[in-house]
Amino acid sequence: MTTPFEFKQYTSILKSTGKRAKNLRELREGISAVSKESIFHHTYQYFLKAHLLDYTNDFAQWAGESIEERALSERLSNIDPYAFKDMDGLRTEMIKVIDDYLGNFPEPRDAVPGDEFYFNEAVIFVFPAGVRAKNLAEFLMAIKYIDASSIYDHFFEARVRLGGIDDFSKWFESELGKKGLSEKIRLIDPFMHNIEKIRGHISELLEAEVRNDMEVIK
Amino acid sequence: MERYSGISPKGDLLLIMRLCGVLKNRAFLHINSTRSGGGVAEILHRMLPILEEIGIAARWEIIEGDKRFFDITKRIHNALHGRMEKITKDMWDYHFEINKKNAERVNLDADAVLIHDPQPVPLIEFRKSGRWIWRCHIDVSNPQKDVYEYLRRYCERYEAAIFSVSKFTKAMPLSEFIIPPSIDPLSEKNMEISDEEIKGTLNKFRIPADRPIILQVSRFDRFKDPIGVIKAYRDVRKYNDCVLILAGSPATDDPEGDAVLNEVKEYAADDPDIYILLLPPFSDRDINALQRASTIVLQKSLKEGFGLTVSEAMWKRKPVIGGAVGGIPLQIINGVTGFLVHSIEGTSFRIRQILNNPDMAKSMGETGREYVRNNFLITRQIRDYLAVWYSLENKGKSILEL
Repeated sequence: MTTPFEFKQYTSILKSTGKRAKNLRELREGISAVSKESIFHHTYQYFLKAHLLDYTNDFAQWAGESIEERALSERLSNIDPYAFKDMDGLRTEMIKVIDDYLGNFPEPRDAVPGDEFYFNEAVIFVFPAGVRAKNLAEFLMAIKYIDASSIYDHFFEARVRLGGIDDFSKWFESELGKKGLSEKIRLIDPFMHNIEKIRGHISELLEAEVRNDMEVIK
Repeated sequence: MERYSGISPKGDLLLIMRLCGVLKNRAFLHINSTRSGGGVAEILHRMLPILEEIGIAARWEIIEGDKRFFDITKRIHNALHGRMEKITKDMWDYHFEINKKNAERVNLDADAVLIHDPQPVPLIEFRKSGRWIWRCHIDVSNPQKDVYEYLRRYCERYEAAIFSVSKFTKAMPLSEFIIPPSIDPLSEKNMEISDEEIKGTLNKFRIPADRPIILQVSRFDRFKDPIGVIKAYRDVRKYNDCVLILAGSPATDDPEGDAVLNEVKEYAADDPDIYILLLPPFSDRDINALQRASTIVLQKSLKEGFGLTVSEAMWKRKPVIGGAVGGIPLQIINGVTGFLVHSIEGTSFRIRQILNNPDMAKSMGETGREYVRNNFLITRQIRDYLAVWYSLENKGKSILEL
């Protein structure tokens, strides 16, 4: 008996930590001192926001746009948050990259007033989206119109819960026995697409799979 | 809530219903200092009936004060925006006394109490029960220090504070949430209206419809820079034929309004293409029509709390040019839904650019409408207020499953 896929919805409410940084040294101090929730918000939750994908986390974006330290920004962007077991591992890596950079360029500029980095964190609300899929065809319909935050929860946030894989591919494999499809889904680079592009890629892969399953004469 | 189905994002409506399940029939009290004029009163007029409709026992109270009280609170408001003001010990005492009188008059019992802006902030001294939250709508990113420090002693007694933008937050020993304000797509000011009605409004004010219209809707307040708008418009007129409308309503808690209006009229002099409209309170349909009739909407503020007229215009698919202050950069994606400007010259340049690129204007308008749908509708704000309340009931948890 297949367990249906229950789509969940994800909403976060922003909270300020009261900390801010006007230059790279203050950013470093902030990263070392803020809560794990704040590190999580500025890295993992980056993809929930409607960004242009020139960067992969808020620290890299601020380094690139507000203090114009492009080389640092590139290095921060290349950090894969899913490669770390916990938030402190990610925090340590961020600090290491900044320290290396400060070793070579010890006098980075200040941000203009009003453009400082504000350390926030989020309170997360997870609740049923009221959509359930029992098979691939229903899943295909659902993925086309489900809220973007639902895709974020199952495709990005799930990697933290499941240790690097997403909810969708896990369900395809464990409940539908679709190992090949799961592998294709896992090859979608989560850092190179916004949520709508992810939706598009998954829809395409599912459509091909459903068509293949339907065709009696290949 | 069904009325918002198909307009607001479904996820917002779902979460509101979930939160209502746990907060149903509980009392939610809002207190501010005016029932008319300005964005706070406007959103409360719309939000309270919705909260009641979904089963929250919502109540809205106004603190009453005399001219002296509102002169003082205006000074406090200006000082928080960074303008130098002298607030004497006597004034602070009077501010407190008036709040004390109001505390005796108003029933402060509720499960959650949201105090809007600095005028009623001392009411925390008379807290009886419930979760008290201070809602700061104004730009306090660069306040006059002594004034902010005086207010801080009240603020820090609240359980939480809500600011509209990250950069307005302060390091305080309480939970600080960041919640932008919102517009109601079904209100008289934002609902769809017919072309006939739009024409009717233009005829009523004798505004010609044969040329592009540049509009700024705001209180007559120096922080909205109405004189700067006229200067920019005069620069645009060198090569572009258009008309300018400056439209605003008086606010009962703003004693400077008349003086600024007179300055603006004097500066506009006898230019027949500048229309200065002092609209009575609740002229929302006229404002709706004027925004829809416009080619470009301005919000050239020098200081701003949030500047919701930006979202109002974007909802009506208008390109918006706004000062890069307060909450305006949160609404305008520069070059995508409009332009952020830092000077009169910048304003004039961007007006000319949009007037001469109708395709760009159209695309900015369409993108802007979707951006507002996802971020600045009233349902999102109701969702956030209830979420803050619920999270205060579940302190220490960063993930809440409903």
